[in-house]
Amino acid sequence: MAGYIIKRIAVAILTLLVIMCITFLLMNAVPGSPFLTEKSTPEQIARANAKYGLDKPLYVQLFNYIKNYLKGDLGTSLKMQEGTAVSKIIFHQGKFRLSIKLGVYALLLAIIIGIPLGCIAAYNRGKWIDGFLRVLTTVGVAIPTFVLATLLLVSFAVKLKWLPTLSSSLTSFKSYIMPVVALSFYYTCYIAKLTRTSMLDAINQDYIRTARAKGVKTRSLILKHALRNSLIPVITYLGPVLAGIITGSFVIESTFSIPGLGRYYIQSVLTRDYPVIMATTVVLSALVIFMNLVVDIAYKIVDPRITLTGKED
Amino acid sequence: MDAKFAKISPFQVDPDKIPPLTDEDFAPAAENEKEAMVEKHKSVSYWRDAWRRFRANTVSMVALGIFILCLLFAFVGPLLIPYGYGDQYRASQKLAPMEFSKGEEKIASITGNCDAFFATALRPGSITALSKGDYYINYKGTTYAFTLTKALEKSVIVLDLDAEDPLVIVKESDIKDGTWKKSTPIEFTDTPAEEAAEIKLVTRVFPHVFGTDSAGRDLMARTMYGTRVSIIIGIVAALIVLIIGSIYGAVSGLAGGAVDFVMMRIVELIYSIPEVLIVLLLQVVLKDPLQAWFDSGTSAFAKAMGDLGSGIVSIFITFALLFWVTMARIVRGQVLMLKQQEYVTAATALGANNGRIIRRHLLPNCVGQLVITTCLQIPSAIFLESFLSFLGLGVSAPMASLGSLCSDAIETLSIYPYRLIFPGIILTIVVLTLNLVGDGLRDALDPRLKR
Repeated sequence: MAGYIIKRIAVAILTLLVIMCITFLLMNAVPGSPFLTEKSTPEQIARANAKYGLDKPLYVQLFNYIKNYLKGDLGTSLKMQEGTAVSKIIFHQGKFRLSIKLGVYALLLAIIIGIPLGCIAAYNRGKWIDGFLRVLTTVGVAIPTFVLATLLLVSFAVKLKWLPTLSSSLTSFKSYIMPVVALSFYYTCYIAKLTRTSMLDAINQDYIRTARAKGVKTRSLILKHALRNSLIPVITYLGPVLAGIITGSFVIESTFSIPGLGRYYIQSVLTRDYPVIMATTVVLSALVIFMNLVVDIAYKIVDPRITLTGKED
Repeated sequence: MDAKFAKISPFQVDPDKIPPLTDEDFAPAAENEKEAMVEKHKSVSYWRDAWRRFRANTVSMVALGIFILCLLFAFVGPLLIPYGYGDQYRASQKLAPMEFSKGEEKIASITGNCDAFFATALRPGSITALSKGDYYINYKGTTYAFTLTKALEKSVIVLDLDAEDPLVIVKESDIKDGTWKKSTPIEFTDTPAEEAAEIKLVTRVFPHVFGTDSAGRDLMARTMYGTRVSIIIGIVAALIVLIIGSIYGAVSGLAGGAVDFVMMRIVELIYSIPEVLIVLLLQVVLKDPLQAWFDSGTSAFAKAMGDLGSGIVSIFITFALLFWVTMARIVRGQVLMLKQQEYVTAATALGANNGRIIRRHLLPNCVGQLVITTCLQIPSAIFLESFLSFLGLGVSAPMASLGSLCSDAIETLSIYPYRLIFPGIILTIVVLTLNLVGDGLRDALDPRLKR
């Protein structure tokens, strides 16, 4: 187990390095300079390049990035908040916390609603409630996040005025409702579908029949015996969920004008603020990679039959 | 015949009871007897069998029907409505669904030699041929409005393509004394208006079923066009994924050993990259180089790509770079599984080479899996494209995709919510039906996976 975790951490670090290299190459593939404006003279651009070390050969720049990141220095912003340390922008201006809060709430909502819904559907298999949930979840995974988000915004904030339109700082409980619901809806539906399927698979297993023969009540049969075993596919899916929630947060943050990391990333790409692009990419990637690692270890706890070293295929 | 054979079972051989064979028994079978044999043993092909299973699946059949309707909407619909996706109708901006502007009730649709029409038909005097009132002339996709009054009878309506507003109303006297000059002089001919072009006054026009946008573009035409763009992007992206993923997966699975190990580590690496971050970056990075390539490119390929625009091409590139890994994994898994089947061993023993084994044994056996995965890839590609377009990165105006239409609708959402609802619903329907068709295909092509 320990050996496996160490190996996975090494792979994770390698992946991050590769992501850094790819991001660096892509950033530098864009012609022109981040300092190029209508007013700037060649001398000014050269001076700015020298100041931020952009005049050095590419491999030296890349090496410097990696060296500084290992020291925990994420560089300084070139354009959006000139001269401010990127780590300060991301971590101390509330952007990271805001995005994480949004993502965690959405993830929790998807799990807390999705798994019980799947259980209810499996428990009432073939009845109207199962049919209703099937239709709901099937339609739910086909609605794009941004359509749902904007429809919620129009109906509950603009027309009915129940919820605040601007969720910008996410101060009150009410301001969280729409972004979190919109962000988690797809995953709630997906998890419900997944739970239903794997629950039905589990119900057909021999040990369930044995338990039933021994007189275990259906309710506790589902909750105690079937649920634990049917959670494995759901846990596998949590890694992609997190990556997807980060994707979704780009849309959600721009729809509800939340100043989070996702929105900031898009801005930094559009303004070509190299250090900010690099830092946001690395931070978000690290988050996703870390989550995948946690998920893989969580497997082992739920189902000791899984051998971690053999799961590569 | 059957009765005779049934009696001769190896377990109850009683030679005395076997009826003696007569000459009749050795007569060649008649044509209808042969047919009956063939009919009885008609083999059901894989696809026919799958189609039978698919047809029995009501949900998938209904979904397929609705998806075909969407296809008709996207590909045949534009032929049926009189509006183009980029045409701007100046008099009919911001219309609600099913409305058309007052002016459009009297749209003069002019077909034939339009330039000659403007040069001749509306020259002094001939204007009286038209009755007084408001006219809207649809010329080369743009609608021009003018009011025909008594005072204008002495004026000329001229088309000056160099001017900002090409339709100019000039007083007859100004032309005569040279006050008004056109960059290219109009050559008046004596051809009567009716001969130069056919003027048809339509009293009632086709309504803008989905309304119009702020630039006066018909939203239904744009939605039809957007649906087409989205579906094409989905299909092309899925095909790109299919080609790259299946070749990579097949090579990896067949080669095995160190090659497989290295290839799979690359797949794992790409798999763990959060692709959306790279996708967004790629969209911005590829924009300028692609545009430069389109502008400089003289080859037909570059031109065709240029017509698509850098947004769509970079979506394809993104799929080719990052999204094939799932397909590669699935194909490799299939190949590894099939490689160990007895019939492959038998084929190898009989001296079949690798190419034949791939063509005759591996490919037909994993084609079901390939079709399913490709079909389910289409909605996810449509999702990604709409996501990018929504963020303002994918398709750019006057082109439209379902995502960019939704994105355009955001600014005026509280006033004109239907501008989001129509493309949003169609996007949902397309993705939903494709998902259901994909599920149906999975059940039909690979019954082992049936849930």
